[in-house]
Amino acid sequence: MPASAVTVDSLSKRFGANAAVDGLSFFVSRGEIYGLLGPNGAGKTTTLRILAGLLPPTGGAARIEDVDVASTPREAQRRLGFLTGGTGLYARLSGREVLHYFGALQGLAPAAVEARLATLATALDLTGLLDRRCEALSSGQKQRVSIARAVLHDPPVLILDEPTVGLDVLASRFLREYIAAERTRGKAIIFSTHYLAEAELLCDRVGLMHQGRLLAEGPPAALRAQAADAGSLEEAFLRLVAGRA
Amino acid sequence: MRVVWAKELRETLRDRRTLGVMLLFPLVVYPLMALLLTEVIAGKEAAQGTRPSRVAVVGGDPAARETVRALLRSLPPGVRPGIPSASSAKATDGGFEVTGESGGGDSRETNASRSASTAEVTAGTLDAFVDLDPEKEAAPIPGADLLAIPAPRPLRVIYDETRPASDQAHDRLTLALGSVLPVGCAPTFAVTSTSVATKTKVGGYVLSKVLPLIVVIMTMLGAFYPAIDITAGERERGTLETLLTSPVRRFDLMTGKVLAVTTLAALTGALNIVSMSLTVAETAKLAGGATAGLTIPWTRALATLLVVAPAAFLFGSVMVAIGAMARGFKEAQSLLMPVYLLCLTPSLATSAGDFPLSGVTMLIPGTNLTLLARDLMLGDARLLPAAVTLISTLAFGAGALAFAARLYDSERLLTSTDSDLVGIGAWLRHLLGRAPARRGTPGASPSVAASPTTAGQALALFGIAFVLWFFVFTWLQHWRLLPGLLISQWGGFLGLVWLFARSTHRPLANVIGLRPPRAAAVAGAICIGMSCWIILGILADRVMPPPREVVENIRRLIRPPGQDRPLWLSIFALGVTPAICEEALFRGPILRGLRHQLPAGLACALTGILFGVLHGDVWRFVPTALLGTLLSWMALTSGSIVPSMVSHIVNNTTLIVLGYYGLDEAGEKLSSRANLLLAGGAVILLVVGIVAVRAGRQPLNPKTSPDTSSVSGVT
Repeated sequence: MPASAVTVDSLSKRFGANAAVDGLSFFVSRGEIYGLLGPNGAGKTTTLRILAGLLPPTGGAARIEDVDVASTPREAQRRLGFLTGGTGLYARLSGREVLHYFGALQGLAPAAVEARLATLATALDLTGLLDRRCEALSSGQKQRVSIARAVLHDPPVLILDEPTVGLDVLASRFLREYIAAERTRGKAIIFSTHYLAEAELLCDRVGLMHQGRLLAEGPPAALRAQAADAGSLEEAFLRLVAGRA
Repeated sequence: MRVVWAKELRETLRDRRTLGVMLLFPLVVYPLMALLLTEVIAGKEAAQGTRPSRVAVVGGDPAARETVRALLRSLPPGVRPGIPSASSAKATDGGFEVTGESGGGDSRETNASRSASTAEVTAGTLDAFVDLDPEKEAAPIPGADLLAIPAPRPLRVIYDETRPASDQAHDRLTLALGSVLPVGCAPTFAVTSTSVATKTKVGGYVLSKVLPLIVVIMTMLGAFYPAIDITAGERERGTLETLLTSPVRRFDLMTGKVLAVTTLAALTGALNIVSMSLTVAETAKLAGGATAGLTIPWTRALATLLVVAPAAFLFGSVMVAIGAMARGFKEAQSLLMPVYLLCLTPSLATSAGDFPLSGVTMLIPGTNLTLLARDLMLGDARLLPAAVTLISTLAFGAGALAFAARLYDSERLLTSTDSDLVGIGAWLRHLLGRAPARRGTPGASPSVAASPTTAGQALALFGIAFVLWFFVFTWLQHWRLLPGLLISQWGGFLGLVWLFARSTHRPLANVIGLRPPRAAAVAGAICIGMSCWIILGILADRVMPPPREVVENIRRLIRPPGQDRPLWLSIFALGVTPAICEEALFRGPILRGLRHQLPAGLACALTGILFGVLHGDVWRFVPTALLGTLLSWMALTSGSIVPSMVSHIVNNTTLIVLGYYGLDEAGEKLSSRANLLLAGGAVILLVVGIVAVRAGRQPLNPKTSPDTSSVSGVT
C-alpha cells in the first residue's frame, strides 16, 4: 500500500509561454483533507485537472494511489471522485438517471448503483430528489446529487474544486459536514477554494498557491504562525505574498 | 436605446464566428455552390447532348420505313431542319443512330417487331422507336379537304418517360419528324407519343427525382441539432468536465455520441421517406390527369432506407466532429451551417443532373448516397456500386469519428478562449495578423508582428482571394482575357500577398518563402513539372473525364481561333504569370499558415484542395488539387518557393506549347502501347524528381518559424 494517497512531484503545466503550474510538489494522506488555496489564476484548477486526468502535465508527475495519472489516466480516474462548483448534471435527466449513467461509465452494474444509492440517499438527504429532473432542483439539491455522483463508486480520493461556489450558507455547511465525514471514512480529500476561512474550518493541511507555485504549506495554525502570527489564514496569505513580492 | 444597440453590436462583432458566417457565407459558400452546380450540370448536359439517340422504326410498308430511316439518318448532329427556333436549344443534338431492319411486311411480323422493340425500350437497350402503324388515325387538318392537302401520315413514338436518354430521344424524334417541312407548310407526319413505363415505374421515377435529395437533406438536418447539443451544448452546460473525468476512452465516448446522433438522424431520414412517399401518392390522387393512378413502388421506397443509416452515420460523425471544435452552441451553429450547405451541394448537383453511379462518383460522399437512393428507387441499383458507396460512406464516417475522438482528447476543449481579443481593433489585428498599433493598444499582443502566419490568416486570405476571383477577376477576364488575366494575377493574387506582408510588417520574401533553393531541388522540380501533367492527365481521364467542350475551351484559350497571338505571349500570360502569382499566394502564406497549425501532410493536402477550388473548374479539380498538393510538398521539402514556381512554370509551359501546336490532339491518336510507354516514362521522371527534391531539402524557415522547420511528416 502506498505511503500517501496522492503524490504530486515537481508538477508543471505550461500553456504556450505561460506557466500555469510551476514545479508544484505536495502529498495527501488517507483520512486527510488537504486545502489548495490561492487567488484566481493561482493554478489550483489546472493542478486538479491534471490530477483528474483532464490535462496532461508538461513536466513532473502526479500519482493517485501510486497510479501515474499521465500514463494511465483511466486507472487513476477509477480511484477518484471529482466535484466542481458547476454541478455537471444533465438538466433533462432525473438524478437517478444521471447517477446510473455515471455508475455505468465507472463500470458498476445497475443493481450495484441502486444499492449504493440507497446508502447515499440517506447520507445526502436525496429522498424525493432522485426521480425529479435535475433542471427542477435548487442549487443545493443539485450539489447534493452531484456529490452522490462523485462518490458513487466509493473512490479512495476525492478532488473538490471550489465545490461551495454559489451555495447558500446551509448548503455550504452541509457540504463541509459531508466532506468531514468522508475524511473519517479514510478518504484522501483535496479541497480547492479561494474562501480561506472555509479552508481554515475544514482542512488538516493547506498549501498556499500563487502564480503556479506553492508559497507555503502546513496546518492552518502553523501557517498563521509562520506569517508573523497572522490573525487569520487570509492575513497569513497576504503577508506571504507580500514577502514574495 | 443607442447604448443597448452599441453594446449588442460590439459584443456580436467580437465573435469571429459570427463575422465569419456574416461575411464568408454569402461571399464564398454561395459562389462555391453555384460554381459547382453550374459546372456539373453544364458539363453533363454537354455530354448528354452530344450522345446520339438509338432509335428504330417499325410498322408500315418497307418503303415508308426506309423513308423514315433515311430521314433520321440524314439529320446531322446539331441541325434540325425546319425548327429555326429550336436551333439554339438543340445546338448539341447528337442526332440518331437508327438500328436494325425491324418489322416485316405482314401484321404478324409487325406485331412481333413492335413487341421486341417495346421490350428493348423497357430494358434500356433502345432509346425509342417509331411505329408507322399506330392504332389511332391522325386528326384531319381543318380545311385540308378544301385545299386538297393530303392528310399527314400518323406515326407514334414509343419511349420510356422514366429514362432521361429515352425522354431525350422522344423529344428529338417529335421535333425531327413533326417538322420536316418548312415552317408554314402542313406537317408530313402527325406524331403521337406513348410511354412504355408502367404507373408504378412512373411513380418510382417521380419519387426518384425528389426523394433522394429530401432524404439527404433531412438526414443531415436530423443530425444537425443533436450533434451540436451533445458536443458544444455539453461543453456550454458544464457537464463536459465531469464526463471527461470518467474512466472511459475518448473514442468510446465519442462513438457513443455519434451513434446517438446517427440514430436520431436515421429516424428523421426514415420518417421522411415514408412521409414523402405517402405525400406523392396522395398528391397524385388529388391532382388527377396524367398523374391519376400513379402507384408508389413501396418495395423500392423501402429499399431506399438502405442509404439512411450510412448517411446518418456519415453526417452524424462529421457534425459531431465539427461541433466538438466549438466552444458553445452558437459557435457550433456558425461552424456547422457552411458545412451543411457545402455537404448539400454535391447532392443538389447530383439531383439536378442525371449521373450514373460509377467511377469517382461512387466515392464522393453525399453524391454517391443520393445516386444510390435514386437507383434503388428506380430499381436500377447494382451490387458493386452500392457496396462501394456504402463502404466508402462508412469509411468517411469512421474517419470523421476518429477525428472527433482526437479532438475530445485535446486540452483545447477545456482551455481555449478568445479572451485576449478584447476590442474590435484587436480582433481585426488578430485576423489580419497585424502588429499592435505603434502607440500601444490595450489588449493587443506584442508578439503578433513576430509570429508566423496562422491557419486563420491563411483561410482568410483564401476567402478574400476567392471572393476577388469570383466577383472581380472572372469579370475582368471576360472583358479582355489577357489584360484581365495579368491584372488578376499580378495585381490581384500577388498584390494580396504583398498587402498581407505589408500589414503584418514582414518582408514579402519571408511571407512567401523566397530564398535560394538547392540545385537538386530545382532539378527535381523541373522533372516533376515535365512529368506530372501526363500522369495527372491520365488520372483525370480515368476518374472524371472532362466533356469535349471543356477541352476545346482550353484549346481556344491557348490559341484563340482567328487571332495571331504569339507563343511567347501565351506562355508568359497563361504559364509563367499564374505560376509565379498563384505560387506566391498558395505556397506562400496559405501553405505556411496551415502548416503552422496542422501536420505537414494535412497542410499540403488542404492547400492543394484550396488551389483546386480556386481554379473553378469541377472537371479539372482532381488533377489541379493533386498538383497543388505536390507543389506544396515541394515548397515545404525544399524550404523555398522557387522549386514549386519552377515546376509550375514547366508544367504550364509544356501544356501550352502542346496545345499551341495542336500536339495534344495528335497525342489522343497515339496507340495504347505508345500511351503506356509515355505514362511509364512520366512515372520514372516523377520518381526521379521526387528523389531529387528530397535530396535538396532544407528547413522551411529555420530562424523565424521553428514550428515549420521539419517536414519529416511529409517525406
